[in-house]
Order: sequence, then structure tokens, then C-alpha cells
Amino acid sequence: MDARRRNNVTVIGCEDAPTVLLAHGFGCDQNLWRLVVPDLSKRFRIVLFDHVGSGRSDVAAWSPQRYTTLDGYAEDVLEICAELDLRDVVLVGHSVSAMIAVLAANREPERFAKLVLLTPSPCYLDDGDYRGGFTRADIDELLDSLESNYLGWSAAMAPVIAGNPDRPEVAGELEAAFCRTDPAIARVFARTTFLSDNRADLADVTVRTAVLQCSSDAIAPREVGQFVHDRIEGSVLVTLDAIGHCPQLSAPEQTAAAIAEFAGAR
Amino acid sequence: MTSFTVTTLDLEAGPVVEFAGELDSASAPRALQAVEAISPRPGQQVVLDLTGLLFCDSSGISALIAARNIAHSAEAGLALAGVPRHLARTLVLIGLDTFFTTYATAAQAQAAWPESPAGG
Amino acid sequence: METTFSALLEDSAEDLYENAPCGYLSTLMDGTIAKINATLLGWLGHERAELLGRRRFADLLPVGDRIYHETHFAPMLRMHGEIGGIALELVRADGTRMAVLVSSTVKTSANGTAQLIRTTIFDAGDRRAYEHELLRARQEAEQERDRVQLLASTLQRTLLPPSLPDVPGMDVAAYYHPASADEVGGDFYDLFPLTGDTWAFFLGDVSGKGAEAAVVTSLTRYTLRAAAVQEPGPASVLKRLNTALLKDQHGATPRFCTAIHGLLEPAGDGAKVTLASGGHPPALVIRHNGAAELLDTRGGQLIGALPDARFVEVELRLRPGDTLLLYSDGLTEARTHGRVRYDEEDLRDWADTLDVGSATETVAAVSLLLDSFGDGVDDDTALLALSVRLLGDERP
Repeated sequence: MDARRRNNVTVIGCEDAPTVLLAHGFGCDQNLWRLVVPDLSKRFRIVLFDHVGSGRSDVAAWSPQRYTTLDGYAEDVLEICAELDLRDVVLVGHSVSAMIAVLAANREPERFAKLVLLTPSPCYLDDGDYRGGFTRADIDELLDSLESNYLGWSAAMAPVIAGNPDRPEVAGELEAAFCRTDPAIARVFARTTFLSDNRADLADVTVRTAVLQCSSDAIAPREVGQFVHDRIEGSVLVTLDAIGHCPQLSAPEQTAAAIAEFAGAR
Repeated sequence: MTSFTVTTLDLEAGPVVEFAGELDSASAPRALQAVEAISPRPGQQVVLDLTGLLFCDSSGISALIAARNIAHSAEAGLALAGVPRHLARTLVLIGLDTFFTTYATAAQAQAAWPESPAGG
Repeated sequence: METTFSALLEDSAEDLYENAPCGYLSTLMDGTIAKINATLLGWLGHERAELLGRRRFADLLPVGDRIYHETHFAPMLRMHGEIGGIALELVRADGTRMAVLVSSTVKTSANGTAQLIRTTIFDAGDRRAYEHELLRARQEAEQERDRVQLLASTLQRTLLPPSLPDVPGMDVAAYYHPASADEVGGDFYDLFPLTGDTWAFFLGDVSGKGAEAAVVTSLTRYTLRAAAVQEPGPASVLKRLNTALLKDQHGATPRFCTAIHGLLEPAGDGAKVTLASGGHPPALVIRHNGAAELLDTRGGQLIGALPDARFVEVELRLRPGDTLLLYSDGLTEARTHGRVRYDEEDLRDWADTLDVGSATETVAAVSLLLDSFGDGVDDDTALLALSVRLLGDERP
């Protein structure tokens, strides 16, 4: 098994510094981290990867058996750590990867020094008193939307592949694959992401954890961030002054600073 | 991607159909359509010019046999011209080297045809 | 003329913006609506004051598209500065929806800082209806494809023996490499006991592919099985098959096959093989000392195309460690790297370099060779190998 190739693993930054493993969320790939990587790589050794089915991962490695639960993705994270012999890892999981990080850390707590959960949600569906933010009908609509965007996706890719002469800083080989996801896999990933319920796993977390949330996030509302913080004993909650679900894009300096501060703290 | 082109020439000395490229299960129906479209007259000779043929698999062989059947059922003749080496090898392999009448070129095939095409 | 020109001159930029045939929307980087044209307001049924500074672009979307916006649209726009042709729906003030195509670009200041997002929105009612049709067709095609693949693999299994029988003193191995999961291939092989110590085997290739070829394959297999029991030798078995296939022809295009059929009898410490070829690529013999030779069966004609087809019979002796390999033309017509086709002589030369002593090893080596051709193998390939066990090699 070659996790390095399967997950298109990239290692950059300071060789002897603590390791920060960045796990991207639903809808994109490791390029989503590129605005925070310059700051973080000055102080840490950064390990980036693509989930199977995203970016430049080995699509052939994808199977519905392994990847219809978040456990399969958590398994991949642990395999990357084992293959690269990563120790005392600060694992940063964005969006759905926050719960993938929780599952990985619960399986092998000794592997991880700290967890950073960026815009996490343990359960997107409303359930009794719990407000995940979405109803089942909402999620079904998302899945439909992915279906009907099937053609839109290919169109969306066209300018990306052609490159962007006006913005040379984002032109280049890596961008050709930015956020490129196999639509069929994306549908399954969406289902896995939005129908998972990992609320019960939060109480099992023993690794020191920071919850980073945005001041306004349509996908993971603030009360959900608060819920995660409440359930993980000893966790810290940081609210970034940022809008949307991807603060590493909308407020990169602030996000990098918050990750660095927690990761670097004794 | 394989490619195949078929060109039909209605020459004074009789029809010549040129097959070029790869004759396989994908292109064989087109090859055969071209021969059927000629509707040869009795006494005429149809020449299949295979000079440009790069590849021919079992479906292609099938099409060549079918072309001969079509010509014969119309009481016309059929000759192969410019059979490439690889196909000549195959024809030997499958015991059809004497089954088809073959000539080096289409012009030679037409020159060798005894009956006057103008008569039909 | 004059009036037309003056009308054109009076066509102000402001009017063009407000009443363009598409919706225009400018938002701050956080999505807050800063400017919107009359066309889009009209489509939405909102008052300008309800939206400006109060609502974000994502608020105009139904929830599914809002998630798509947050997880795909906004990140891609951030990274690339533009995104185009995305199919979304807008929710009107009255709750109804409108299919649109959305393109956005980020406007940056002179120093490169992102300032605002400009979005153009096209009414896509017609196109979406068309896309729904395409989508439905695609889903149907996907289901159909799964069904066809299942059918093909099931049918294929019925055309090949589930496993080869044990032949005393011999090692036997077979391999089947389908070129396509969607279509039933035209290759077949079998090995079965006749009377006494005699065994019969065959391997062949039916012209064409798919269901029609499968019918011929099936007819061929059962005819060969029956004829092998009744006829005195391989050449007369192939004659019977030729007659059976000719009787079954429909239309002008002949459905024929090429095949090698043989009998195997124990003889001394080895075996005697009698085989006949009907237009099939020559069998390969790999001797115990490593020398490879092609069995000359030229003159045998393909089966099912000609009324009085001739078949050529040859005899050979296999000694301990000798292997007889039958193969179909997927192997010898494979494109190797580049465009050159692999032929029988290439196979013989390759086999000459092999160090194999059994049928199993030979088939394993050839299947590796096939793998090395990768996409070059565009036809099905069947392999059947028979070898005489070396003395003292009593492995079952």
C-alpha cells in the first residue's frame, strides 16, 4: 500500500519543526490550504494530502465499501501517518475532515499531539434539540443539486484548465486540478459528509483540541461550534472574524495565526 | 483512436473502392455499405483497393468475404488490389490466399478483367 | 437613419446596466449585496432596499445550492478570481424558483487586493430543461451499462469452462483476458475427456463481438464437443463445424471462426497430440530445452465461410517438460508500444527467451506479457496451455 501516492501527499516547511497535517474538507483538495501554508511553513513541517476521489489522489483507489463512511477516510489519515512515520502530529481538519480527524485521533491517540477542528460539525442534520442547521429535505436537495450541476462542473473547469493570465500567482500546474472531483465520487462524499452523525465520538477525544469557527458560517453555525467545544473536554474555542465556511481562504492570515498559536503552544 | 476511410471511384473500367486505415468491427459495416451502395451489374468487376489498409481483423476479413458474396450474387466479379503484406500474411494464415483474386494495383485488376464494363 | 443614431447615442451605460437581458449583481467579498440591476430585481420580485447591504448572494439560493456555493463556488472563485457557467437556482420573493447560469469574477484593486465580486446571471429555464433531459439520459445509460456488463460477464462464463479438468501426467492452464467489460468476447476454449485415455481440446475465435458473436460461440462450442466424440479425427470435426456454421448463416456477412482442435493421448513418458487448424494462428511448442517453434498448419481455412473448406492436420509428440500453447489473435494482433502489431514470429522469438517448464508457468508469463501491452490489447485474448509433467513432479 502506497498512501503517499494514493493521497498525493506533499511535505514542505521546516524539517525539524513540529508536524502539522492539514486535511481538506468536502468540495476541494489540498490547494484549499495554499493561502495559509506560506505562514505555517515558516514554523512547522507541513504535510498536505488529497482525500481519495479529490484533487490528484489515485481515483482507482476509491471504492464505495471503504469510503461510504468517514472511518475509511480516517483510516487513510492513519496510514499516511504510519507510512511517513509522523509523530506528535498536530492534525488540522477542515469541515468534514474535522470529524475525520476526531475518528483518527480516537483510534490512535498516541500519534497526535493536538487537534485543530476548523469549522467542524459533528452532525449537519437537525435532531430533536440539536440544531445541525439542515433538515433531511435540505440534504436531499444538496444531493440533487450535485446531480444537476453535473454539466455545470465541467463548464466550471474550463477556465481553470486554460489558466488565468491575469492572476499569475494562481496560474500553474497545480491549479489545473484545483477542486477537481469526480462527480460520481463527489455525490457519495456529499452523502457521507452530510448524513454522518459523530456527536457520540466527541466525548472520546483525549487529544488537546482547539475548535476554530467563523463568525458567520452557513454550513457550520456558531451553535454547532459551541456544541463541539462543550463535548470535548478541555478544548478551546476560537471564533474567527470571518464569513463563510472556508476561513483559510476568506481570512488566511487570521486562520494561520490561530492554528500556529495553538500548535506552537506548550 | 482508429480511423478508417472509404472512397468509391466510379471509373470507366468499373468501380474501385479504396479502404484505408483500420478495418475492424467498428469500421467493417461502413466498408460493407460502400460495396452494397455500388450495386454491381452482372459482368462487372468490383475492385477493392487495399493499398492504404493499415490493419484488418477478423471482422474486416468477414467484410471482405461478404463483399465477395455480394458481388458474386450480383453475377459480378471481385478482386483485391494492393493487398498489404500484413493482410497477405493473414490471408495465408486463414487459408484464403487463393480464395480471393488479387492484383498488385487496381489498374492491373481492371486491365485483367475480360469483359467490357461499358456493355452492362 | 438620424433618429436611429440619436437613439443609440442616448443609450446610456446606466440603462444598459439596469435593463440588460441578464442579471447583474455586485457584492462585497463576504457576499453582501452592494449593487443589483433592475432585470435581476424583476426576476426575483424583490425591492432594491430589501437586498442592498442586508442580504448575501448565498441568501438568494435554496439550501442545496447554498452548500454548493460555500463548498465549491466560493472557494473556486477565491482561488481563481473567476468561475463560469455554474447551474444554480434562485429563490424568488414568492418562494418559487428560477433556474439560472451564474458567472462571477473578482475585481481587484491596483495593488492586487480583492475588492468585490461581479456576478452575471442568465435565465436558464430552457437550458435547464435540456440538461434535465441529458441527466436523465445519463442516469439511464449508467444503469444500462451496469446491466450490460453483468449480462456480458454472465454470458462469458457460460462460454468458458468454469475450471479445467485434471489430466493425468499433464499440467494444464488457461487464461482469458476480456478486452471490454461491456461486450461478450468471441474467444473460447475447452478441454474435456473422450474415451479411454484420450482428451480433446480446442481454442478459437469467433469473428465479431457482442450477442451475435456469443450465439456463434455457443453453437461452435457445442458442435465441437459433440463432433469430437463422433468423428474420427480433428480435421473431420472441423468439417462438421464448418457445415454447422454455414447452415446457420443469416445475411451476407459471414459469421465464421478460426479454431484449433486437437486430441491428446498418452504415449510413452509423454503424449501424442493430433491437431487441426481452421485458419487459426499457429500453435506454439516450447520444448523442455527452451527452444520454441510454431506448428505449421498453413492451408487450413477459416470455419463457416466457405462450403468446402479444407483443414490441415498435424501430429506432434510432447516430451516431459514440453509445453503446447494455443492462443487467440488478441495476443498476436496486440499493438505493442507505438503502433507496431505483435505477430506470431514475435511471439515465438519471445518464447525462445523464456525459461518455463510447465503450462502454468507459460500462461503466467504470457499474461504478464499481455499486461505489458496495456491498452494495446484491443481484442479478447484466450490462452490454453498443456504440458507434460517432468518425471518426479507429482504435484497435482
